[in-house]
Amino acid sequence: MSQEQVLYQSPLLYRVLREEDGALSIEVVVGGIAMTTVRVRLTAQEAEAYAREGSAFTDRLAQEIMAQPSFGGRAR
Amino acid sequence: MTWMVRNLLLCALLVVGCKHAEPVITPTGPTPVPAPALSACDARQAEISKEADQRAQPWSIEQHLAKNFPDMKVSWLMPEGLYQKYVVQPGAQNFGRCSDTGCYLFAAPTAVIQDAVTKSMTGGTHAPEVLGQALGLPAKNFEGPLRMMTLDLNAPATCVRLPVDSDPGVWKCQSAEDKDCFKFGGYTSGGVPEVMVINAPVAQTTVTEIP
Repeated sequence: MSQEQVLYQSPLLYRVLREEDGALSIEVVVGGIAMTTVRVRLTAQEAEAYAREGSAFTDRLAQEIMAQPSFGGRAR
Repeated sequence: MTWMVRNLLLCALLVVGCKHAEPVITPTGPTPVPAPALSACDARQAEISKEADQRAQPWSIEQHLAKNFPDMKVSWLMPEGLYQKYVVQPGAQNFGRCSDTGCYLFAAPTAVIQDAVTKSMTGGTHAPEVLGQALGLPAKNFEGPLRMMTLDLNAPATCVRLPVDSDPGVWKCQSAEDKDCFKFGGYTSGGVPEVMVINAPVAQTTVTEIP
């Protein structure tokens, strides 16, 4: 059974998760007529920005990931 | 007296003649009636659609629908897990990526998706590589059980237009090798016709399991 926790689910089709090891990650639905998901682990700076700005920050981050799903090689 | 009678007769004839004179109507062809889906867009989406049509000239959403979506039925695919997490569990009212301006969804002709799914079925399950090849997308997008959604854009009328670069979810092409990124014009980079559907209602959508 997965211990990961959903911290926030957006109607923009992404979720902010706390993974089993405590790290924050963002799961984003990408693609068009056939959708799939990618997951990116937040850096310390991004986690701070999320703590400070909440979904305003993750909305921007999710849109960046949707526009470039490999996200500079960080997506898994 | 004769002069008066003649004038009275002339006036009477003129009145009768004028009464029967009808305006001349030049026969013309029937005025094209736009698909209900085109008039279902709000002012914001109608403006985006107008700008997209201007950019796509001589192509337009109306021509695109007539050529590639003659039955006005659209479909799209989601992995089963994704469908459960983002549609069923949150009780979504509309499909797609939602912001305060609407929910945005890419969709293709149902016949194209259905054909691809049918061709990919072997022994009761679909083959991701066959489905991917048929739709010009990577096979990994189709691994595991899928859901195929189908919506009739005219019942009820749902806003539809050409997708544009600023739409949520647009994946900008980075290189010639990118296969599933966005290119303006109404076709995916794999050559499948696509439209942007605004506020596709979950309640009006048929959902089919693809094992």
